[in-house]
Amino acid sequence: MSVAEIEAVDVGYEVAPSGGLWRDAWWRLRRNPGAIAGFVLVGAFLLLAIFAPLVAPHNPNEQDLQAVIKGCPCGPSRAHLLGVDTLGRDELSRIIFGARFSLLIGVVAVTVGLTLGLLLGSIAGYVGGWIDSVIMRLMDIMLAIPGLLFAIGIVAMLKPGLFQIMIAVGVVNIPIFARLLRGSILAQRENDFVLAARSVGVKRWQILGSHVLPNAISPVIVQATLALATAIIDVAGLGFLGLGPQDPGTPEWGTMLTETDRYLQSAPYLAIFPGIAIVLSVLGFNLIGDGLREALDPKLRGRT
Amino acid sequence: MRRRVKVGFALLAALAAVWIASTATGSGKAATTFVFGTEADATLLDPSLVSDGPSLRPTDQIFESLVGFKLGGTKVVPELALNWKPSANGLNWTFNLRHGVKFSDGTPFNAAAVCFNFNRWFNFPAPLQSDALSYYWITVFQGFKNPAAGNPGPDKALYKGCRAQGQYKVTLMLTRRSSSFLAAIGLPNFGIASPTALKKYQADAGTVDSTGVFHPTGTFATQHPIGTGPYMLSSWQVGNRIELVANPRYWGKKPKIQRVILRPIGDTAARLQALQTGEVQGIDGVNPADFGTVRSNPKLQLKVRPVFSVGYIGINQKKPPFDKLQVRQALAYAIDKDTVAKAFYGGVGAPANQFLPPALFGHANKGVPNYSYNPDKAKQLLQQAGLSLPVKVDFSYPTNVSRPYMPDPQRNFQAFQASMEKAGFSVTPHSAPWRPDYRSALQSGNYQLYLFGWIADFGDPANFLNVHFGSYTDQFGFTNQALFNELAKADAEPNAEKRTAMYEQASIDVMKFVPVVPYVWAGSAIALDKNVKGYVVGPIGPTNEPYARLSISG
Amino acid sequence: MLRFVVRRLLLLIPILFGVSVLVFAWIHALPGSPAEALLGEHATPQAVARLRHMYGLDKPIPIQYWNYLKTLAHGDLGTSITTQRTITFELGHRFPATVELALSAMLFSIIVGVPLGFVAAKRYGGLLDHFSLVGSLIGISIPIFFLGLILKYIFAVRLGWLPSIGRESVLATRPHPTNFYLLDAIIEGDPGAFWDALRHLILPAVALGSIPLAVVARITRAAVLDVQNEDYVRTARAKGLAPFVVDSRHVMRNALLPVSTIVGLQTGLLLSGAVLTETIFAWPGIGSWLKDAIFNRDYPVLQGGVLFVATVFVFVNLLVDLSYAIINPRIRYS
Repeated sequence: MSVAEIEAVDVGYEVAPSGGLWRDAWWRLRRNPGAIAGFVLVGAFLLLAIFAPLVAPHNPNEQDLQAVIKGCPCGPSRAHLLGVDTLGRDELSRIIFGARFSLLIGVVAVTVGLTLGLLLGSIAGYVGGWIDSVIMRLMDIMLAIPGLLFAIGIVAMLKPGLFQIMIAVGVVNIPIFARLLRGSILAQRENDFVLAARSVGVKRWQILGSHVLPNAISPVIVQATLALATAIIDVAGLGFLGLGPQDPGTPEWGTMLTETDRYLQSAPYLAIFPGIAIVLSVLGFNLIGDGLREALDPKLRGRT
Repeated sequence: MRRRVKVGFALLAALAAVWIASTATGSGKAATTFVFGTEADATLLDPSLVSDGPSLRPTDQIFESLVGFKLGGTKVVPELALNWKPSANGLNWTFNLRHGVKFSDGTPFNAAAVCFNFNRWFNFPAPLQSDALSYYWITVFQGFKNPAAGNPGPDKALYKGCRAQGQYKVTLMLTRRSSSFLAAIGLPNFGIASPTALKKYQADAGTVDSTGVFHPTGTFATQHPIGTGPYMLSSWQVGNRIELVANPRYWGKKPKIQRVILRPIGDTAARLQALQTGEVQGIDGVNPADFGTVRSNPKLQLKVRPVFSVGYIGINQKKPPFDKLQVRQALAYAIDKDTVAKAFYGGVGAPANQFLPPALFGHANKGVPNYSYNPDKAKQLLQQAGLSLPVKVDFSYPTNVSRPYMPDPQRNFQAFQASMEKAGFSVTPHSAPWRPDYRSALQSGNYQLYLFGWIADFGDPANFLNVHFGSYTDQFGFTNQALFNELAKADAEPNAEKRTAMYEQASIDVMKFVPVVPYVWAGSAIALDKNVKGYVVGPIGPTNEPYARLSISG
Repeated sequence: MLRFVVRRLLLLIPILFGVSVLVFAWIHALPGSPAEALLGEHATPQAVARLRHMYGLDKPIPIQYWNYLKTLAHGDLGTSITTQRTITFELGHRFPATVELALSAMLFSIIVGVPLGFVAAKRYGGLLDHFSLVGSLIGISIPIFFLGLILKYIFAVRLGWLPSIGRESVLATRPHPTNFYLLDAIIEGDPGAFWDALRHLILPAVALGSIPLAVVARITRAAVLDVQNEDYVRTARAKGLAPFVVDSRHVMRNALLPVSTIVGLQTGLLLSGAVLTETIFAWPGIGSWLKDAIFNRDYPVLQGGVLFVATVFVFVNLLVDLSYAIINPRIRYS
């Protein structure tokens, strides 16, 4: 290693995300009851989603019309812990399998938004100039349209469907991450260690990769967790509006809520249980995201 | 700080108390006003230019036709005409009119008024001749005096002319015998309007845009629909409410209900809630899922209309493999009609074995092929047709809609999908909003299999079978000349008994050909406040359900 | 300062332009053409072709866009296919409905959220503090449509205390000069009308305001915590001022700065949430209007309505930015 590189690494050590910041954050996270609760919730849902076929007591798509004739949709019973829906299917099994969809959707949507947003934000922040202006104006225009309506607009173009919703929600997230990263990069660009590294001859993209991006990671992680939570809600919202999967039998939580308004009088639990499922999973991610935010916030270091 | 909190809480409590007090809307409304929650607002109040229930409901209270229907049924009874007689050759029908009837604007009802109305419809200018407007005239009388491009003219029309003989005798002249003509003119769409008002308020003036929507420049259809009926229009706040008041010049028994308010509440659940809170005293379009809720509520009553609609799975034979009879038969065996009809219709659905519902004459009581649920037989038939299982099909269903024959289309679809997949099919779902995509796509022949149904216009088998299977349509994509001829002959048959027998045979033949798979006959239901008395539901509701007979007790 | 304002105003033009292009492109990217939607059940290929020619829909896109701009310049936003009334007329009814709902939701979130956050901050680490933190997290985790359904179920269906849909009761025949029902009641001097409108407003406003409530509470708490430890507050206390005076004159006033920013930024959220809330409560506002238009393929409504909403949103953002710049001088020179 050359002297320059040793120096660059040395100078960057104070702020680079190795050791100091992360260990500190992890320590604080472990002592945050909210975050722990969040991990528990999210862990539970991950387990349910992955092991759904093993955990669910019934086949979520198996209809039982004879039960409907006898008066279902009906409430919780010993055979069906969360009740039976309008086609005689077991609600508990449907909610467990619904976890798969919700998590899949959230992850895909956030990945789309994150990747493209980071890409655009990095380019804008680091290259600057007119490219920066163009990209940021584009982001402004995207932000000029409220989130859900934007997503609805995209789905309207693409025709309803599960995949389309994921893309739509992902696209809506792009400007948020782009702005975040650009702001972070701008703040760091003028930092001393970066100037030092450049003056010594370290390449731009090396600086980007080894100094700037890692520092920007912490707000991105926080934002990604929160965006995941929002994505689950937004997708459920789109499903609720009827823009969801073409196959109405899909046990996606939001779609399960769509037709329940009609049955609110006679079978309110059709709405309650999927709704609670959404709330708990989203709450889990929000708790984690919140905990992360507090754990990684340098301002709070030094306080108890 | 603590004291402020206490004061704050006290204030909140006081506010809450006032709130709850003002919650008591109370059902102590004047017993002479009847508020009804409808599914949608009317489009126009000129019955000759509309065909939707929400528009016909108010106009049916305002206008009367030459004949009417027995309450709760379809038998033709006198209304503005006391009696009638066809000529020997069946081409001229002479009606003796009721004496002393006045329109609500004071002008006299007479034979000249009847001819004025019929001739007005026959002479509709080109823009008003579209299916979107004068659908019923076209269906029944089939031609106009000055036909617009593409419309049939006087040569094809059933209507020849009208002759007034004195004040109270009028003859309608037809170009050929028709057996369904009399029932047809009882429809509210042929309600007689005041010629003075039609002229004064320029009932035909206006433009029709590319959607076929009529934008009247006159005020007949929006403010001055003048008829002879027990009610007249008081005001119409578009999208909000229609208010009717009793017609002081009505010839018949004075109604107890002096004021009728029709309020559109599109959301089904909200409509029911409005009834439960007492904001309205009656609603239409009750969701079968709520029948139990209404029945168990001591303050409400549920009235179920006699079955007059059929739900079916439509087939477009232009899309293989449904051009093969065996495949269509397989589909019929792949549907569990019994279970679906029992499960999803709140107890008012009956599994259908043919297109005509039982209440209608022409319904065949025996000899109908029996396609009960038999997945193995379905698989056999498919294989016999030379296909390898599973057979991939595209099945479309509508969203954003609820009809008596499919109160929850998604639900029906899912049940059918499941049973079809057990019977050798592989179903690909497609959905589209009811308006505008689904109906236009279906009628253009875009869908291979689709959920649809039919609510009868009037009580004649021709209105079921001929309309659907009497000629080639894009929707069903088949040409079966033998069937077409059979249906045409049945319609033209003047002898009532023979006609019934011919239709029974036709109904059986339709089921042998399987152009569609009917699965349910369903009625619809209204819910009323327990205090509302005298409401008689009928098969062609909401028409022929007069508010003039209602009374609200206590 | 003036230069800042002028610069921001000038930036408005390209943004609005971009929005109009986006909306126009979007309309034409929707499946099914406007012509087919217009014709509905009568959409034969010949009729569609005739219509496209009549409405200039077969001209190249840039020319169509230019024509579109021209009609806009005349203030003509088009006519709705489903209701046959002009977009402008519909907006005149729909927009005040949503604004009334959104403002009520915002008011609710502030009236409940600010005191909540304040008290939580004051009793930092206490039970109330933890409750409010957890509560606000739960608040942003509950989907608005679910909350709306639950509220409707409890208060309208089960208890019957509040109405479930609409802006006023079924039998009402009241004049509505401004279409803001609360305001109309005041203008007409009708207390019954005021209560009626208020009762209908409560459930949707609470549902819609749930998320802003959570956010406002948290931000207030954080802001108060920050300000509490500032030097000038300690000085004020040291001077011997009563705690209440310290709180109101120094702490709150400075804490409200970030709160007011957040309030402005909630507009977008409110608008999105309005779509779901309006659907559940059958509230005749812009949200349900646009959503129905998408399902009914009512293209003129989409074109005119979306453009209008986006424009309003851009203006509101501008106002928020400007007011923040006025309050916080550092921003002006960035």
